[in-house]
Amino acid sequence: MIPRPHAAEPAAEPAILLAQVVKRYGAHRALAGVDLQVRRGEKVVICGPSGSGKSTLIRCINALERHDAGRIVVNGIALTNDEGTVQDIRQEVGMVFQHFNLFPHLTALENCMLAPRLNRGLSKAQAEKLAMAHLERVHLADQARKYPARLSGGQQQRVAIARALCMEPRILLFDEPTSALDPEMVKEVLGVIEELAASGVTMICVTHEMGFARRVADRCVFMDRGEIVEEGDAARFFEAPESERLRHFLAQILR
Amino acid sequence: MTNLSLADLAGYLRQLGEGALITLELFFASFALAFVLGVLIGVATLSRSRLVRAAWRVYASIFMGVPSLLVIFLIFYGGSAMLAAVLGEFGARIDISPFGAGVAALGIVYSAYVAELVRGAIENLPKGQFEGARALAIPPFIMWGRVILPQVMRLALPGLVNVWSFMLKETPLVSLAGLQDLVAAAKIAAGATKEPFIFFVATALVFIAFSAASLWLANRLEERLDRGQRRAPVRSPAQAEA
Repeated sequence: MIPRPHAAEPAAEPAILLAQVVKRYGAHRALAGVDLQVRRGEKVVICGPSGSGKSTLIRCINALERHDAGRIVVNGIALTNDEGTVQDIRQEVGMVFQHFNLFPHLTALENCMLAPRLNRGLSKAQAEKLAMAHLERVHLADQARKYPARLSGGQQQRVAIARALCMEPRILLFDEPTSALDPEMVKEVLGVIEELAASGVTMICVTHEMGFARRVADRCVFMDRGEIVEEGDAARFFEAPESERLRHFLAQILR
Repeated sequence: MTNLSLADLAGYLRQLGEGALITLELFFASFALAFVLGVLIGVATLSRSRLVRAAWRVYASIFMGVPSLLVIFLIFYGGSAMLAAVLGEFGARIDISPFGAGVAALGIVYSAYVAELVRGAIENLPKGQFEGARALAIPPFIMWGRVILPQVMRLALPGLVNVWSFMLKETPLVSLAGLQDLVAAAKIAAGATKEPFIFFVATALVFIAFSAASLWLANRLEERLDRGQRRAPVRSPAQAEA
């Protein structure tokens, strides 16, 4: 293998490694033995029909769902039942949810300050400086003192992104970040995510925004019925899908 | 119209005032106990453990089903014996005062109602609130204190105000265990002076005044907890353009 010039660490371990990961809900297998490796700095887009297991997959990475079998390693930390490793992994991984999950009784700024103060031992002033910097990054510094209910959906999601960034995670997970937004707000949120993508952070994004996938993704992954059916670089993925299931899916969403 | 001298009236009213203080102390102590116990029990009942849920059902059916007066009597008359049995030879004999029995009884009875409210409010919170906190690696204890319970208090506030009012009205029951509270003082004054009307109405006025103050406080608290919950005012298109 030819070493890539920008690979800082030779033979760097993957940012995320999933091996034969299984997740069951009763008799239903939401994940039926998934293998996936994500390099440091790689941007991966996951798509697939609803119920295909794509959200479950990324929720297993930060242990919001506990996998039943297989191996998950995040930045070299193997995910076990030990609460300590779970917390270690969550420090490395930021997550952005479909429904934002902002804390409604805290302002945008307070939402961003809470976790850094608790987990990184920052003083109030330091945390506020950090939070303002990240709110600036999502172009919301002027809305910092507002409560979430006073913000539009797009603004709320950008606050949620800033909140995740305040933990300065090396990996960001996006679980359908634009699915709950009105169409006119999708662009502002995707724009912010694209700016982040340029910063070199590792990113997995579950989305059906195919234009976004083409612009940002190093690799696209198609899931169906708890399995990865096909993966490839964005161009080939859309132009020349190999599997019938992916062709069918693309036909559905690109109609 | 009355043969009650002003000096006597003043004396009895002072006794009423002392009784009112005892009633308020009893009330605040009982409510604090009910609140703390109720929040803890409410959180605990969300456990998936069958044992915990079964214990909660027994607790709720006893203390929501049995009259408060009976619980007060049980603790007041039976409490010393129960404590002696638990502490055995080692414990000195502990006498339970009417005040202590009242606080314990009202606190325990109303903790069941508070727990029910807290439990319902937690179940009504979006699951995403828990997930958001967990994804940020916020430790569970702080998640409850900083993220979940402040929202629960907002949702449970109307119910808690009801519990507060009911509880206040049940405090005179403790006078039947011998506590010299407001109603006991009124009864003595009414009996001694043959002027029941004056003293019972005065007593009622104290309760009404306290109730009114509580409602005012509850409204202030609601405003405070509602911070951030109101949606943005609808903006005119012109403003939205700007």
